[in-house]
Amino acid sequence: MTRMVLARLRQAVPVVLGVATLVFLLIHMVPGDPVDAMLGESAVAIDKAELRHELKLDRPLLSQYAEFMTGIARGDLGVSFRTREPVAREILSRFPATLLLASASLAIALMIAVPLGIAAALRPRSWVDLLCGTSAMLGLSMPNFVIGPLLVLLFSIQLGVFPVSGYGGWRHLVLPALTLGSGMSAILMRMLRSSLLEEVGQEYVRTAIAKGMSATRAVVRHALPNALIPVATVLGLQFGALLAGSVITETIFSWPGIGRLMVQAIEARDYPLVQGCVLFVALLTVSVNLLVDLLYARLDPRIRHE
Amino acid sequence: MPVQSRKWTRIPALLGLLALVALAGPGCRQKLPVDEGTVVIALSGAPSALDPRIATDAYSEQLLQMTHAGLLRRDPGGDLVPDLASSRESRSPTEFVFRLRPGIRFHDGRELTSKDVRYTFEWILDPKNRSPHKAAFDKIVGIETPDRLTVRFRLREPFAPFAAEMTRGIVPVNTAARGYAPPIGAGPFRVEDVEPGDSVTLARFDGYFGGRPAVSRVVVKFIPDSTLRFLELKMGSVNFVLNGIDPEMLPEIAKNGNLVIEEAPGSNASYLGYNLKDRFLSDARVRRAIAMAIDRDAIVRTLWKGKADKADSILAPGFWAHEAGLPEIPFDLRQAKRLLDEAGYRDPDGDGPAVRFTLTYKTSQNALRLRIATAIQDQLRKAGVGLDVRSYEWGTFFGDIKSGNFQLYGLTWVGLRDPDIFHLAFHSKMVPPSGANRNRYGNDEVDRLTEAGERETDRGKRKRIYARVQEILARDLPVFPLWINRNILVRDRRLAGFTITPDEDYSYIRFMTVSPPAPGAAR
Repeated sequence: MTRMVLARLRQAVPVVLGVATLVFLLIHMVPGDPVDAMLGESAVAIDKAELRHELKLDRPLLSQYAEFMTGIARGDLGVSFRTREPVAREILSRFPATLLLASASLAIALMIAVPLGIAAALRPRSWVDLLCGTSAMLGLSMPNFVIGPLLVLLFSIQLGVFPVSGYGGWRHLVLPALTLGSGMSAILMRMLRSSLLEEVGQEYVRTAIAKGMSATRAVVRHALPNALIPVATVLGLQFGALLAGSVITETIFSWPGIGRLMVQAIEARDYPLVQGCVLFVALLTVSVNLLVDLLYARLDPRIRHE
Repeated sequence: MPVQSRKWTRIPALLGLLALVALAGPGCRQKLPVDEGTVVIALSGAPSALDPRIATDAYSEQLLQMTHAGLLRRDPGGDLVPDLASSRESRSPTEFVFRLRPGIRFHDGRELTSKDVRYTFEWILDPKNRSPHKAAFDKIVGIETPDRLTVRFRLREPFAPFAAEMTRGIVPVNTAARGYAPPIGAGPFRVEDVEPGDSVTLARFDGYFGGRPAVSRVVVKFIPDSTLRFLELKMGSVNFVLNGIDPEMLPEIAKNGNLVIEEAPGSNASYLGYNLKDRFLSDARVRRAIAMAIDRDAIVRTLWKGKADKADSILAPGFWAHEAGLPEIPFDLRQAKRLLDEAGYRDPDGDGPAVRFTLTYKTSQNALRLRIATAIQDQLRKAGVGLDVRSYEWGTFFGDIKSGNFQLYGLTWVGLRDPDIFHLAFHSKMVPPSGANRNRYGNDEVDRLTEAGERETDRGKRKRIYARVQEILARDLPVFPLWINRNILVRDRRLAGFTITPDEDYSYIRFMTVSPPAPGAAR
C-alpha cells in the first residue's frame, strides 16, 4: 500500500512538471503585458523598462523558466504582480471557499443521485425511471449559468429563503452548491443506474432474493457496493474538477474561490499567480485521483495495490 | 430480470431540500441592511489594491474615494477645490504651496501633517516601490515642509495638469504597502473588514474633518454578474448601484416600489478608433464617410435605451475644457457614399451585396459592446463597407490596439481629469508604448498646441488652446467620438442625499441619509 502510494507520487512528478511548463509557456505567449496592466498606459517608457527589469521580464524566456522551476523546487511560487502578496497566501486565502463549495456540491450530488439512481434501477422503464432519466437529461443539458439564476429567482426572489450571492453563512452556500451539485448528480445518477442494473442481473442478487430477502434490501446490501466502482471513478474526476474552482458558478454567485482568482489573474496577466493557481489545481487533481485509487481497494477487496 | 419492489423508495434528497427551506424560512423576512442604516453598494468587480499609492483600477479608486482624502478634491462640477488643504497658491508656474487645515486626523487619531503629505508623494516617486502613479508626479523635483501645515512642491518645468493629480489620497508616514491590509487615510469612512474577492466593509469615521457622515456603515460587494446585481437590488440586500445595471433591465427596476432610478450626465466617452496607418483609413474622407454612415441616434435609442448622449469630442460637454461650437457629424448615408466614391472606392454593384472594401473591427468580449459592433456592421454595409467584427479577451484586445494591429476598434475613455489627455492620445510622439496615441495620428499643430497646453497655467488660455485642438480633431477625425453614457444610479427609496457627479465620485456617500421606514410599508 505504502509502496503503491510512493509509486503514484513518483508518477505525479512528471505530470506536475509538465503542467508547470505548459502553463508557463502559455501565459507568457498569450498577448498582453503585465507591466501595462500594472503601470497603466500613461506610464513613461523608462518606468516601464525599470519595472520590466525588476520583475525580470526582460530576461530571456529560458532564464525566466529556470527561475520559475527552481522556485517551485524550493516551494516558492513567487509574489503576485497585482496585489504584491505571496502567491501561496493568495491561493490559500481563496481555497477554503472553493473547498467548501466543492464538498457541499458533492454532498448534494450524492444526496440526489444515490436514492434516485437506486430507485431507477429497481424499476427500469417504470415512470420513476422515466422521470429520473428526463430530469437527468435536463440537469445535464442546462448549463450552470442558466440553473444558477433560475434557482436565485425561485429561492431568493420568490421565496426569499436564501441570499442572492456572496460568501458567509450556510445560507450563502445552498444555491451555488445546488447549482453545481444538480448537474453533477445527473451524471452520477445515470452512472449508478446502469452500473446497478448490470449487477442486479447477477446470480448472487437473484439468490439473495430467492432466499427471502426483499428486493430493495438485496439491491442496497449486495448489488450497490459492487456497483460503486465506476461511480467512484466519475466522482473522483468530478470532485477534482470542482476543486479547480468553477469559474462560471463562482462568478454568478460572487463566490470568492480559486476559479475567480484564476480568471482575475489571467485578465491582469499576473504571471506568478496564474502559474501558482494552475500548479495548485494540478496537484489537487493528482491527489484526488490517488485517493480514488485507494478507495477502490476498500470498495472491492479483490483490488490490491501490491 | 426486473426486480420487483412493493415499497416505493423515498426521495430523501427532496425532503432534505424541503427541510432546508423550512429551516431557513423563519429568517427570510429578516431585517434588510437599509433598516439598520447600512448602505450596501455593488461594484462590478473587485479592487486590486486599497492603497492610493498603487491602485489604478476604477473599483479601487471608487473605494478609496470613501476612505482617503487628498490635498484637493473635485466639486460636483468637476472643478478642483481644497480638501485636506485649506488653501493653495502658485507663486510661480513651477511652485505650488498648500496650507493644510489644522487638526485633521487619520483614522487612528494621529494628526495629519505636512510630513505625511511629503511621505506619500516621495513613496510614489521612489522607483523601488513601483508605483503606477510615478509618471504623474515625475515633474516634481522637491517637496519641502517649512512647517507642520505647509507643503511646497517644486516642479522641473511648468506643468498645468499637476493640480489635477493632487487629489490622490494621503497615507501616514512610514506606511508599508500591503495588498489586503489597506493603509489608513483621513477620509469619511475607515476600512473595518476586507473579504478578498467578496466585499469590503466600511465604518464611518467619527473624527472626519468634513463632519461625521450620517450613514454608519457602508458595505461594498463585488458582484461581477449584472443579472445578480439586479436580483440583489430587487431583494434589498444591495441598495445602491451606480452604473452597474444594464439599460434593458431599468424598466423592471422602475416597477419596484422600493427602488428609485436617478440619471445624470456622465463623462466616459465611447469612440470609434481608426488606424491612420491603414491604407483605407489614412484617407480622411474614408474616416468621415464611415462616421456619417453610423446612425448613432438609432444605437443610442435601441441598445442604450436612450441612456447616452451623442458626443462631439472625447471630453464631455459639462467639462470646462470642452469646446461647445464643434460641428456635428450628421448621419448622412448619401454623403457617406459620395465621399467613398470620391476617395476612389466605388461600390461594385450599387446597393447590392458586394462591398467597396472590408475592414476589421475589434472589440472586447462585453456583450453590449459586441451588439453595438454588430449594429455598426449592419449600418456600414448600407454604405457599401464590409465589417468583420472580432471580439477578444481584454488583454489580447488591448495589446493589439497598442501595437497597431487593428483597422477599427471601439473603446471608451474613462476617468478623464484634465485636457492633457489630448497630449497623451494625439501627440505624434505619444504612439504606444510612449503614450496612448493608438491611432498613430500626427499633426504638427496639435503637437505644438498640446505641448503649450501642458505649460500654460492660466485656465482661460488653456481652454482656448484645447478648443483649437478639438476643432482640428473634429476635422481630421483620428477617432470618431460616438456617445457619452449617462450615469445611472439605482438606489433604495429611503437612501437620499447622494450627488451623482459626471466622474462617479463615491465620496458623496458621506452626505447620504437613511430615512426610517414608512409605517406599514412591506417589501
